[in-house]
Amino acid sequence: MNGGTSPRQRLWLDPRTKILLLLLCILSAMMALSLYYELGLVVLIGLFGACCGKWKYAWKGAAFYGLIVLLTFWIMDTMTGTWRTMFITFLGLFHKVYPCGMLSGIVISTTKVSEFLSAMNRVHAPKNLVIPLAVMLRYIPTIQEDWRFIKDAMRLRDVSPSLKGLLTHPGMTVECIYVPLMMAASKAADELSIASITRGIENPKPRTCLVQIRMGPADAAAILCFGAFFAAGLYGKGVFG
Amino acid sequence: MIELKQVSFTYQGQEHDGLRDIDLTIADGECVLLCGRSGCGKTTITRLVNGLIPQFYQGELQGRVLVDGQEISSLPMYQIAAKVGSVFQNPRTQFFNVDTDSEIAFGIENEARPPWELAERVEQTTEDLHIQSLRGRNIFELSGGEKQKIAFASVYAMNPEIYLLDEPSSNLDMTSIQELREHLRLIKGQGKTILIAEHRLYYLMDIADRIVYLDRGEIKGIFTPEELRRLSQAQREQMGLRATDLMDVLPPPGHAPVRGSVLSLNDVSLRYKRRTILHGIGLSAGRGEVIGVVGHSGAGKTTFSRALCGLHKDCDGQFQWDGRPMERRDRLKQSYMVMQDVNYELFAESVEAECSFGIRNPDKVLVDATLKELGLAQCRERHPNTLSGGQKQRVAVAVSMICGKDLLVFDEPTSGLDFDSMAQVAALIRRLSDMGKVIFIVTHDFEFICRTCSRVLHFDEGEMPDDVPVAMEALPKLRELFSVSVSNGKER
Repeated sequence: MNGGTSPRQRLWLDPRTKILLLLLCILSAMMALSLYYELGLVVLIGLFGACCGKWKYAWKGAAFYGLIVLLTFWIMDTMTGTWRTMFITFLGLFHKVYPCGMLSGIVISTTKVSEFLSAMNRVHAPKNLVIPLAVMLRYIPTIQEDWRFIKDAMRLRDVSPSLKGLLTHPGMTVECIYVPLMMAASKAADELSIASITRGIENPKPRTCLVQIRMGPADAAAILCFGAFFAAGLYGKGVFG
Repeated sequence: MIELKQVSFTYQGQEHDGLRDIDLTIADGECVLLCGRSGCGKTTITRLVNGLIPQFYQGELQGRVLVDGQEISSLPMYQIAAKVGSVFQNPRTQFFNVDTDSEIAFGIENEARPPWELAERVEQTTEDLHIQSLRGRNIFELSGGEKQKIAFASVYAMNPEIYLLDEPSSNLDMTSIQELREHLRLIKGQGKTILIAEHRLYYLMDIADRIVYLDRGEIKGIFTPEELRRLSQAQREQMGLRATDLMDVLPPPGHAPVRGSVLSLNDVSLRYKRRTILHGIGLSAGRGEVIGVVGHSGAGKTTFSRALCGLHKDCDGQFQWDGRPMERRDRLKQSYMVMQDVNYELFAESVEAECSFGIRNPDKVLVDATLKELGLAQCRERHPNTLSGGQKQRVAVAVSMICGKDLLVFDEPTSGLDFDSMAQVAALIRRLSDMGKVIFIVTHDFEFICRTCSRVLHFDEGEMPDDVPVAMEALPKLRELFSVSVSNGKER
């Protein structure tokens, strides 16, 4: 998942910092007062993503959110009655979830499994919680690979792996995706577990890590940014209200 | 020392793959090769030694398995891991990390070695195994052979006394197999004990000290490489074993006659992410032709087969079928790819439903006839996922026949297959060829090519430098393409 750029050129943060940022993001989104505040949050996340080397993802994520904000304004201006209530309820939820989802994407794609494991070790998280999470983290890029094969297989059977296909033949399209994906997932999960336990992941000794993880000035700066944004939302009602 | 004393094992709810009354002692520094048909229990023996049985796979276990005098079932997995290193068949799912450096260090990190030692061991491993070019890479961008090297390196860094390898060559090309052999020589030179379960025997003939032949869960014979080599081809094939020396594998004596050209490619170029992968490809093929496709990983075999099937968009040049131009849509309609992992293309809840899946008015008679033809009639009600690998492959072929596809591409149809199954796939392909289909096979399997293909296309450095008939007259060239040489198994 790490793109072509070398890891030295971009911002590197401790996995613990990233989890803290995620928490701050959830809190900010929960108590967000206005659309402008949320838009600000998404832009902040976008900037953070760009610093981490995920500028394409960040740009797309922010642009898409911009469109949704425009749509929301349009609905609030023009619609009335049941439709308006329905859309506003749905979009309300969407606006709360979107920033957290976007930040999670950046966090997951920039965190190495080994960093995550040793960070969790430092905070003394229990192993039976950490290992399944690590397997999940590792499994996500595998889905991308599986998806490429499944798309090919669907096309060969004249089932279109697109949004249009999903709308015209919903049952069949869903079946074509989840059946092979589930089969691949159950096999991959077994093999991944085997590969990890035969290399001693269950060792009770505190795990060490080739890449030394430690908090640095970058971590402090990132926490400060997100913290300040959260505080601004909390106390700056006048500004954003 | 590894000792198996009167060991019997049956997997929970499964009849095959079990073991009966196994007595086997493997001395320190010995290299033992386990061979036999699929389901003979060779993988099960490796699982007994690395503790996956009984800790991961449940079943009924009798007898004792000892490593250095200690009972394996009494040790926790992480203690076994320090003694016994395991490398598995599928390079895709042996990884826990996304970058190669962390992956090499994964085992020793778990052992909680101090950081300076981690760095030192990773360096040492890189140097010993000559994998400098693989450091700091994203594992998802590596080829199968490179992934397997990283898996081996990760175990090597832990420096175990015993190495277990379960069909490590299944997904490797010829060059990677030779490199794997060098790595095995290296650890053998260090006095490590090696236990390998494998179908491909030829590359291990000068490394193995003893070869244990298993049949239906029992040890049916123990050979030295010399004794195994002396068996006649008929005897060996009777036992379900692959060739012991690729120099003995020969193509058929003459040309198969070709019935007029039906498919032709003219000046075809393929690009992937704006990079030209292949250019200037021209060929023509007649009905019933079986064409092998070979080349290093990254030479464009996959892109070529996807383009043939109309799955790859970014290509120029003309494809023609029966003199008519064949656009991407036409190719998609007319062709089918049997993937290396067939599971991706099976969607329905029964074999019968699979055969009519996505077809508006399925022809029942045709479905019945096809299932009978491919020997699938008795499992028509079964869920495709409960079938064996070979049966799944045949279901995919059945689908292609029912959809009336004329151009078939097989991607590595024999990876990890024993002799019997390989011969079955070869027979299936011959039948498809008799029906007049045009068949392309992407493969590294020299034995299989000699049995099935009429010619071989070789891709290298963006071009197709060779189009060689599979016949005695082209033997030197074929051997060159598959790096088959005298050193390849014959040297003592």
